[in-house]
Amino acid sequence: MFLAFALITLLGALGMLLQKNIIVAGLCMVASFFGVAGLFVLLANPVAAALQIIVYTGAILVLVLFVIMMLNSHEEEPAETSRPIQRWVSVILSLALAVGAVKLVLASKGLQQLAEKGAAVPPAVTLQGVGAVLFADHLLGFEVAGLMLLAAMVGAVALTKRNL
Amino acid sequence: MDTLASLLHTSPALAWMVVKIVIVFSAVMLLASVWTWVERRGSAMIQDRIGPNRAALFGRIRIIGLAQLLADGIKFFFKEDLEPTDVNRGLFWLAPFLAFVPAMLGFAVIPFGRDFVSGGTIYHLSVLDPGNGMGMLYPMAIGGLAVYGVLVAAWSSNNKWSILGGMRASAAMVSYEIGMSLAVVSIFMTTGGYDPAEIISAQGSLPWHWNVVPQFLGFIVFFTCMFAETNRLPFDFAEGESEIVAGFNTEYGSMKFSLLALAEYAHLMTASALVVTLFFGGWQVPFVAHPSVGLSILSFVVKLLFFAWVFVWIRWTLPRFRYDQMMRLGWKAMLPMSMVNLVVHAWLMSHGR
Repeated sequence: MFLAFALITLLGALGMLLQKNIIVAGLCMVASFFGVAGLFVLLANPVAAALQIIVYTGAILVLVLFVIMMLNSHEEEPAETSRPIQRWVSVILSLALAVGAVKLVLASKGLQQLAEKGAAVPPAVTLQGVGAVLFADHLLGFEVAGLMLLAAMVGAVALTKRNL
Repeated sequence: MDTLASLLHTSPALAWMVVKIVIVFSAVMLLASVWTWVERRGSAMIQDRIGPNRAALFGRIRIIGLAQLLADGIKFFFKEDLEPTDVNRGLFWLAPFLAFVPAMLGFAVIPFGRDFVSGGTIYHLSVLDPGNGMGMLYPMAIGGLAVYGVLVAAWSSNNKWSILGGMRASAAMVSYEIGMSLAVVSIFMTTGGYDPAEIISAQGSLPWHWNVVPQFLGFIVFFTCMFAETNRLPFDFAEGESEIVAGFNTEYGSMKFSLLALAEYAHLMTASALVVTLFFGGWQVPFVAHPSVGLSILSFVVKLLFFAWVFVWIRWTLPRFRYDQMMRLGWKAMLPMSMVNLVVHAWLMSHGR
């Protein structure tokens, strides 16, 4: 199961990078999101899986595809003149990100516990648990994020609808 | 079930799972295809016509025109599979499946009868057992995917009418999703759980305890949003025959069109199952505290078919909204209404204790 979902995720991501057609690339990204949702289910976190699909696949990517379809025609855009420096900077940045992620995982408490106690299926995360954590432990972050999103929304409306 | 499992060399759990999947999906498929006929007969009844009553098995057995289903199916299969020259081939073929699969999948968490005990094990009458952790988040997640079918079909057809229909439909679906989610959240709140089995058992067998009575506002919002989600007539901006030819399925023919049409009806079935589960007590039988399994299934099916009929009824009663009217209704009426519903119930809960 893990291999199947990991393959879906990786192939989706690869397809997104290699596809020239921007809509097909977006759909590959959907497949990749599905793989990640499957991995969340395997990690006994069905809530995160459902939220992943609702938020990313059902809302964000639909809006992205919507805008792309509204703006562009069917032609695949010709590549601009390539700038080698961009490529190298991007390779270095993604390598740094990958090293950081691996380091974080290796240093995490969960991995230490796994080494000490062995693998045990943890109790599945429930929506009630997520809500309690959000409103008890991370209340400030939650409220700040809400305020930021509201400000962004008001800003977007103010910028586009000047003569409302 | 145990003997069947031992005959097939599998565990009872696996055999039960397969049986459930076959029963649920074939029932939804069958109902969806029957509903194409119900829609035509129903529209005929409402408009004082007769409707399709001619098709007959072997030229003789008419059964009030029900053979029309078979005739339609056969016709669609044998039609030429046209594919316009400028379509994006892969996506053009993928789109009907993208529309059909989510419409079917949404039904998986709905309990269609009470659970029963046989041979010491509990059997649940829903494809995904309760306590799976996804609960009602699952149909909402899957429902959000229904946009892709319309969007991909519209874009890959390479046709201006199609893309107009797809754009309008996807904008409508995304905007109505917020009001719908808030209506569902207030049900989660009053129930104290988000599993459909919990929601149903919390409602009990007395009709005035069902969620529709205390949360009537939520019901109105949810039901309206279901029309937008399924692209049914007061909001059918994906098709809009009188404005944009046939919208997202203009370029589709033969079995591909049939799949797109069936997806709409499967979606309708899932939507009415959601309405029944959330607001009308699911499989609960009115005034019977502990119904038998058969009675509970019957009760669920009767409610399901009633709401599926309401979808047809409203389609042939109301004219289509204008696009800006629908957007105004969604953002300026439905969203505030479901917010009021949420806040009022939160206030009542905090003062009730």
